[in-house]
Amino acid sequence: MTGTFLEALWQGVVVLFGGALLGMVYKGLDRKLAARMQSRIGPPLRQPFFDVVKLLAKENVVPDHAVAWLYNLMPLVALASVATLLFFVPLGGLAPLLGGYGDLILVIYLLAVPSLAMVLGGFAASSPYATVGAQREMVMMMAYEFPLAVALLGVAWRLSDALPGAATFSLGVIAAHPLWGLVGPLGVFGLILLCGALLVVTPAELAKIPFDIPEAETEIAGGLLAEYSGRNLALFYIADAIKMVAMSALVVALFFPYGLSGMLGVTGAAAILLDAAFFLVKTFGVVFVAVVVVRVGFARLKIAQAARWFWLPVTGISLLGLALLALDRIVY
Amino acid sequence: MILGTLLKQLVHRPATNPFPVKYMPRSVRGLLAKVAAQKAAIHPPVPTPKDLRGKIAYDREKCIGCKLCIRVCPASVIEFLPETKKIRMHVARCTFCAQCVDACPVAALATTEEFLLADTDRSSARLTVD
Amino acid sequence: MNNRSLHLQLGGDAACYTVPIGPVHPALKEPIRFTFELEGERVVGVDIKPGFAHRGIEYMALKRNLIQVLYLSERICGICSISHPIAFTQAVENAAGIEVPPRAQYIRTIIGELERIHSHLLWAGVGAHELGFDTLLHLTWNVREKAMDLLEQLSGNRVDYAIPIVGGVRRDIPEEKLGLAYEAIAYYRGLLDTMIDAYLRDASVARRTKGVGALTAEQAQSLAAAGPVARAAGLRKDVRQDMPYLAYADFPVRAITPEDYGLTPSGDVFDNIVVRLLEVAQSIEIIEFCLANLPKGELTSIPKVAALLAALKKASGEGIGRHEAPRGEVFHYIRLEEGKEEPSAWKVKAPTYSNLMSWVPKFLGAEIADIPIIAASIDPCMCCMDRVHIVTGDRETIWTQDQLLRLSREKTRRIVQ
Repeated sequence: MTGTFLEALWQGVVVLFGGALLGMVYKGLDRKLAARMQSRIGPPLRQPFFDVVKLLAKENVVPDHAVAWLYNLMPLVALASVATLLFFVPLGGLAPLLGGYGDLILVIYLLAVPSLAMVLGGFAASSPYATVGAQREMVMMMAYEFPLAVALLGVAWRLSDALPGAATFSLGVIAAHPLWGLVGPLGVFGLILLCGALLVVTPAELAKIPFDIPEAETEIAGGLLAEYSGRNLALFYIADAIKMVAMSALVVALFFPYGLSGMLGVTGAAAILLDAAFFLVKTFGVVFVAVVVVRVGFARLKIAQAARWFWLPVTGISLLGLALLALDRIVY
Repeated sequence: MILGTLLKQLVHRPATNPFPVKYMPRSVRGLLAKVAAQKAAIHPPVPTPKDLRGKIAYDREKCIGCKLCIRVCPASVIEFLPETKKIRMHVARCTFCAQCVDACPVAALATTEEFLLADTDRSSARLTVD
Repeated sequence: MNNRSLHLQLGGDAACYTVPIGPVHPALKEPIRFTFELEGERVVGVDIKPGFAHRGIEYMALKRNLIQVLYLSERICGICSISHPIAFTQAVENAAGIEVPPRAQYIRTIIGELERIHSHLLWAGVGAHELGFDTLLHLTWNVREKAMDLLEQLSGNRVDYAIPIVGGVRRDIPEEKLGLAYEAIAYYRGLLDTMIDAYLRDASVARRTKGVGALTAEQAQSLAAAGPVARAAGLRKDVRQDMPYLAYADFPVRAITPEDYGLTPSGDVFDNIVVRLLEVAQSIEIIEFCLANLPKGELTSIPKVAALLAALKKASGEGIGRHEAPRGEVFHYIRLEEGKEEPSAWKVKAPTYSNLMSWVPKFLGAEIADIPIIAASIDPCMCCMDRVHIVTGDRETIWTQDQLLRLSREKTRRIVQ
């Protein structure tokens, strides 16, 4: 008993630190590649680490009018929730550590928690900029949660049909059984639409341009985070980095769970290494397409425009994808 | 479409000239000391035209002490030295309009291409011309 | 700003709250304070308070001779660093009755139009940044470098060109540099389509700028808007067209409005972009014309600086200088007295002063997200504009329109009597 507990603890620590480290590396790569696309040199890859170290060394200012306990608690809540998220998402060859304790539904909830924490922290800061940012974040969540849920649940639902009796809401099972091969042509088309919808939701979930409306630097000076500084800001920063890993791992688990080792017939330690490397490539591919390219290629939307964008076209596309999956089930 | 340009720029060399170094060094003065000792190199700045209005050069021998440069200088850069009837320029104040060069009747003043004039001491030897 | 004023202030109407923006805010490149009355995300009221960048530059001029003041005028604004000297030298030449040789007039025009290109591109980049579109900012500013390089080649510096002097210009454009100038012209002509594509046909720019910060022609007229702001609203108003000076007497400039791009002018941000981009094209034409028709002859009517100083000391009278700066009309007034090297009065009216009031109708009804781009749309330059700031001890005084009118009438009466 203690043996498995210690093992789980050890694995948990590795996943946590590995996730945070990977998130920071992705942040560095994101900044570097975005800079290169803009014909700039950009900061060195380790700049996110410098940033965190510097933030940790800075004073942690709590505004006079802030609700101090809420204001200080929320960065911790955000970090804890994204860290928990890492335990429920398959990371490459690794099955989710706590896969037996929660499934896709829990992941949807956990994805919402950091945003909620930022909303509460923003309101607790009691500054006009943070308040406007918090209001905007709430609108954003209402806007993108529905297509997100449709995309995630659509896959699980269709899989439950293809694999009767399996726990298809478990991400481990979903990742082990790629849906692409289990559906007909209509279903494949539906899956492409769902995957597209999820990729569009990704930058909104991660609050990147064009959906960084709650933070909008030029408008509301950082919005939600306007008053945060020092350690609190560093915690939000790390939470954001981990969320980037978790979100891209989620997209990979749902739509691109293939490993190379099986195809190439590699086994043993080499297989684990190969799959881990391939996983990194895949997740960064998702980050590059959904975050880096999108954030350099578009102007920031206004909150009403973003809400309309998610409620009408994106929701429409995800529902169409779901309908195609359903149709495929009847036909196939 | 802008995306094409972006992907092209991704693989091209950045437009930024990495002067003086690509990334912020751990210590700026440490880097400068290394450069002075020739243990490190800095990337050269973007080339400047020949007739750049840089630091003013002063030919002490030609100067006749007419003070015309002092009259036209908008930034009170030039100090008159009554005992020698020559001038001294405090470059830290200079606005690089080169009006003194135009005003000088004996061409004792001239513009140079030197423009890297950052210093920690505003009255250092580099920033004082006489 | 202290925490108290940042704190939410609930107005009489419970749905209405106040958000201060500035004097220091990421959307503002220079200090000014807006106090917005908001209903949700919508602006229902705005108060504007300038005066944070007042440097007493006109007062400084009264203690310097006219050549020194010329370089002071160059430093009113770093972007308009030839617009102010052009207006200033015209004012002094007007007061002292000094002629400017044709070649000098053409060279002033060329540098002035190059400045318009780099200023408009700078503005376009800033506008893109305000929209959260940093890529467009970097693309535009990369392109802008060509104009800066040419200015450096022609004048000897990237900013503060030190080209005009009372009576002419200080530097010739030699034969061997004409090639560089033509190369820059070809470069911009080739890029124009790309620029128009990136700004005017980009969906994400259009979504954020069309219908945002509109200004009707009547509003622009009654608020005395100047430059691109007035032209975007549909007023064909341009000093180069209405009162030709320098080489504009030979090159017929027609003020550009969005109609030239096939749009009905509405004065919104999109129209502002249209006008400024088309003006870049127009400036290219003007520079090309000036280079091709550069008259031979003297650079200045009084080459010797000592002689110039003596002539200016003898001069007396009043003069005005008008120039269409990239941001709008800049106006200089100067009064000279015989036997005095310093001007006895100098008044500078920068374009932002004319355009400041058009902010109010532009902001009303806008959303918070529109505030940065509307603030940027008039291409404001606070340090050019700030002329008066009344502080007694640590208290500021605000003068209303009525009080100012009364004061000015009293002064007129004093002068007339």
